[in-house]
Amino acid sequence: MRFYIALWAAKFAMFCYKLMGRERDDRPGLLATKICPDFLTRIHKPKLVITITGTNGKTTTSALINNKLRESGLTTSFNDWGANLTAGYSLNLMRCVNIFNRPVKDASILEADELTLDETMTQICPNYILITNICKDSLRRNGHPENIFKHIDRTLKILGNKTKAILNANDPLSSQLGLESQRVYYGMTDIGAEPFKNMVADIAVCPKCSGEIGYDYRLYRHLGGFYCKDCDFKMAKAKYFAKFVDYDNRKICIDEDGEDKIYPLISDTLFNAFNVLSAVAVLREVGEKSDDISRFLESQKITAIRETCVEFNGIEYYAYAAKSQNVSAASTVFEYMAKEPSDKNVVLLLDEVQDRNHPTETITWLYETDFEFLNSDNIKKILVGGHMFLNHKLRLLLAGIPEEKIVAVEEEKDIIDYVDREGIEKVYVLYEIDCLTKAKNMRDAIVLKAKEVYNEKG
Amino acid sequence: MKKVELLFPEFCNIYGESYSVEYLKKCNSEIEVVYTNHKDVPIFVSGEADMVYLGCSSEDKQEKIIDILKKYKEEIQREIEKGTIFLVTGNALEIFGKYIEDDDKQIEAIGIFDFYSKRYMRNRHNSQYVGKFKDMIMLGQKSQYSMAYGDFDDYFIDIEIGIGMNKETKREGIRKNNFYGTYSLGPYMILNPHFTKYLLCLMGLEPKLAFEDEIIKAYDYRLKELRATLK
Repeated sequence: MRFYIALWAAKFAMFCYKLMGRERDDRPGLLATKICPDFLTRIHKPKLVITITGTNGKTTTSALINNKLRESGLTTSFNDWGANLTAGYSLNLMRCVNIFNRPVKDASILEADELTLDETMTQICPNYILITNICKDSLRRNGHPENIFKHIDRTLKILGNKTKAILNANDPLSSQLGLESQRVYYGMTDIGAEPFKNMVADIAVCPKCSGEIGYDYRLYRHLGGFYCKDCDFKMAKAKYFAKFVDYDNRKICIDEDGEDKIYPLISDTLFNAFNVLSAVAVLREVGEKSDDISRFLESQKITAIRETCVEFNGIEYYAYAAKSQNVSAASTVFEYMAKEPSDKNVVLLLDEVQDRNHPTETITWLYETDFEFLNSDNIKKILVGGHMFLNHKLRLLLAGIPEEKIVAVEEEKDIIDYVDREGIEKVYVLYEIDCLTKAKNMRDAIVLKAKEVYNEKG
Repeated sequence: MKKVELLFPEFCNIYGESYSVEYLKKCNSEIEVVYTNHKDVPIFVSGEADMVYLGCSSEDKQEKIIDILKKYKEEIQREIEKGTIFLVTGNALEIFGKYIEDDDKQIEAIGIFDFYSKRYMRNRHNSQYVGKFKDMIMLGQKSQYSMAYGDFDDYFIDIEIGIGMNKETKREGIRKNNFYGTYSLGPYMILNPHFTKYLLCLMGLEPKLAFEDEIIKAYDYRLKELRATLK
């Protein structure tokens, strides 16, 4: 009875929030679990529940999977508003049932937080769990990668054969998950990525024998064709194996159990090639046809939350997500800034909003993140503002970046005055993922200033 | 040349703390960093290190390090008595206590200092501190699953704002001769430039820092910010 009271109260709250135009507010989900703590266990699940977790790539991959299933005619519920904890899952699943707890949707797509997976997914019992990768993430919350591994592994142990784990064969860490589960791997061959060497390794020693991990080839960070120099630990064989990636024509060729399939890419970055690869692996496992997936991917682009661009007077101005204290994501974006050949200014808006509850930010992540990658000829200026400006300046100097390239100001708004308006092709405003609006405002203010100066010059 | 031994960097760089040693190297060309793999014999064993640094690690790796360093307990004690500098940060400090509790498991540590620690793996503690060591104001940032318990007669820092080795004490870290241990992450030598100068002096080197002006300004700004916001 308690469950139905929770369901009805939460459904009513959901209706009220909808009237207020706040459909994405997950408080009805929170209410449901407050009234009925095992709400997630009791609520009826759709026939297909897919969970997407891992340090990086969750949002883009979840969106691809959800969009494709919808295009195939399935009705889905997807927590695309970033609510990847209990309240968000409750709301997501509530949308899949009527007031009698009978199913009204075909599928639930759950982008899920790694750290609480063992408390939530063990109640939901999804059909599939995709684990994109395990990398270094926020110190405050996640601790270290081995800790994240343990939470996910515990989840898979409890779920047993009820859930199929879809794993990244190139990741020496997450590929070792779920030894007793049904497992399917996706992976990528050597595509000549030649990644920069990171200052901190997400996994430095073999999990079996503590020997040194070697690579036949590397893709990015600790992902690649790995093996242990001292024992038989090595990359698993992938059922979905990317044989080549063609950025010029935006194509990826995936060997699916001996048959080559071509799929479009959604951008020219390796991490997005991985997002496409993992989404294809999931979609193929749930029975989607490769030709349909390929046709669907033609229409997909990076979600607006990750990258938005406006152009003025021959310069492109981007707001581009980098995730600050997630050192793996920030380092990967810094590498992209160096490798993307255009001459550019880079604005760092990486203060962690979640640290607002703390007196000041830690500086730890600055010394795990590869600011050295920003020491590149095509990066003409690096601008940073906010209360961490002196820490950023010190870190940039220690990374070998010439002082004349660094603009560090206490007030973020003052950055606008220092952005180049000629002699460059692009301006990237790199922002912490929770600060999209702030980043767009900064980007737009930079463009506005450029327009003012242009008009003054006549 | 002064030899700074960075112990087990493949195990102990989970939060970028090894940068403390990298920074030290940038401060003075007389400093040679020796990177000791867990499969090798540390150079402090033969008394060759002027300074030894051990940073934070995952819990599993921490237990491996205990197994390795247990073999060298006598040599560690000898070096501490001799006045060799040890800087130990994060949960590495627990290695030098008596034991570590983790649910129903008790892991015997090296047992050089008289305290024990306890893991709370479902409850990560995050905080910052302002404290005093000699005439220096020390800054710290904690992000950890465990706390330590004991009398801490040989403490390192007198906490002014924040917590010490656990929530009930203002005594932070361990200090004996030139052994300095703190739960704080950092990189500690970046966070505390005056202390870094102090260590350079202890090694007999000129107390001049890399980007000294910038690092002192960042420290001053942070101290002011912490004093204004920490309760």
